[in-house]
Amino acid sequence: MNSNNGSIRARWLWRLAVLGTAAFGALAVATWAPAGQSTQGAAGGQMAQPVVVAAQAGPRIEITKHKFSRPTLTVPAGTTVTWLNRDEDLHTVVSTILAFKSAGLETDEAYSYKFAKPGVYEYFCTLHPLMTGKVIVK
Amino acid sequence: MNDDSAYAGDADGPEVSGGDGVDRRGFLHCMAWAGTGLVWAVTGGVLSSRALSPASAAEPARDFSFVQISDTHIGFKGEANKDALGTFEQAIARIKALEPTPSFIVHTGDITHTQKAGAFDTVTEALKGTKAERVFYIPGENDVFADGGKEYLGRFGGPAGTGWQSFDYKGVHFVGLINVLNFKAGGLGNLGQTQLDWLKKDVERLTSSTPVVVFAHVPLWAVYPKWGWVTDDGEQALAYLKRFGSVTVLNGHIHQIMQKVEGNISFHTALSTAFPQPAPGVGEGPGPVKVPAEQLRSVLGLREVNYVQGKSPLAVVDSTLA
Repeated sequence: MNSNNGSIRARWLWRLAVLGTAAFGALAVATWAPAGQSTQGAAGGQMAQPVVVAAQAGPRIEITKHKFSRPTLTVPAGTTVTWLNRDEDLHTVVSTILAFKSAGLETDEAYSYKFAKPGVYEYFCTLHPLMTGKVIVK
Repeated sequence: MNDDSAYAGDADGPEVSGGDGVDRRGFLHCMAWAGTGLVWAVTGGVLSSRALSPASAAEPARDFSFVQISDTHIGFKGEANKDALGTFEQAIARIKALEPTPSFIVHTGDITHTQKAGAFDTVTEALKGTKAERVFYIPGENDVFADGGKEYLGRFGGPAGTGWQSFDYKGVHFVGLINVLNFKAGGLGNLGQTQLDWLKKDVERLTSSTPVVVFAHVPLWAVYPKWGWVTDDGEQALAYLKRFGSVTVLNGHIHQIMQKVEGNISFHTALSTAFPQPAPGVGEGPGPVKVPAEQLRSVLGLREVNYVQGKSPLAVVDSTLA
């Protein structure tokens, strides 16, 4: 279930993860920081702050309270889109035609997919099928 | 664990009549939620309640009892419960302490949180450690999302490999239904036509006086469709059960106790052992809710169901881990 191309799993070290994984495949969780640090501010180490994705090329869709922050997103072909689960619940991001399929994303885990070809890509959370979205690739 | 045949063919069915003159709705309207534990007594399909205390002197006589455990979410590590394994183990300890020993245990799904390797084993091993003769597992969406149900069905799918199942025990007919497979985008929990056809056939042979207990993960009734707390084709399943004098539907999924009665059908949702969820429509959406640490165990729990032959009460006892 963890073999999906483009999957990125990062806990709190999102930025580092993005910087560290140039282009290839799944990135295992390399480091664990106690959950809760981000909500308590930057009292911990330098990385213990809310996820920063400025370094990540491409748009990001956040998941909170069983909703995708950008249910419709339009991007040019070749764009890598990243979904970041900011919810307490487990979610997935799965194309309705299985063009892409994330593993289960726990809190602060993310998944990325590069949209190479134009088209309308509808997706949903297979755990909570009322959570739907689409990426329009032009 | 014993095999299915342990419960097959028990012909000592009680005579349960729905026509006992008690006004069911009136009875239910009189019920009140009370503190951390309730006993639901079902007499001829009628529910009543009393407060549950650990050392209750008014423990009813019973022919057998069983336990419903639900939404154990093994692998959950969120803020809502940093020790979901610990609260699960506490629930197991409660089951082990039950006197008399429950005849069997039903797990109504979300056995695991993320379907990670070993999570199913954690639950099956722990429940084997209880003295219950048998454990029945119904999946939640968290148990099947990663592989379309392959692991669940491989472990618990039974001879037919479908997962849905029924058995008779001391005159009561039990049915386990699966409504979390094949989720479609924008869709809801669903049983599917194949399972509905099976259910129809399964209950056809039964006399209408047979008490029926149905298990499924997602509520079969419309608790809150906007949050997906409903089974799309649940009504169809219920249509096959309407003729019975006493039907008890036990669900999980929403991590809180709710109940409803429609005719002779009573619906109950159960507590989780892992984390609570908001009341329907409260807040922005469903999902784990963090409560103060000292309150957590008062919103987690499990359920015991007692049955007395002849007098035909089915007593549904919800208790928390507090």
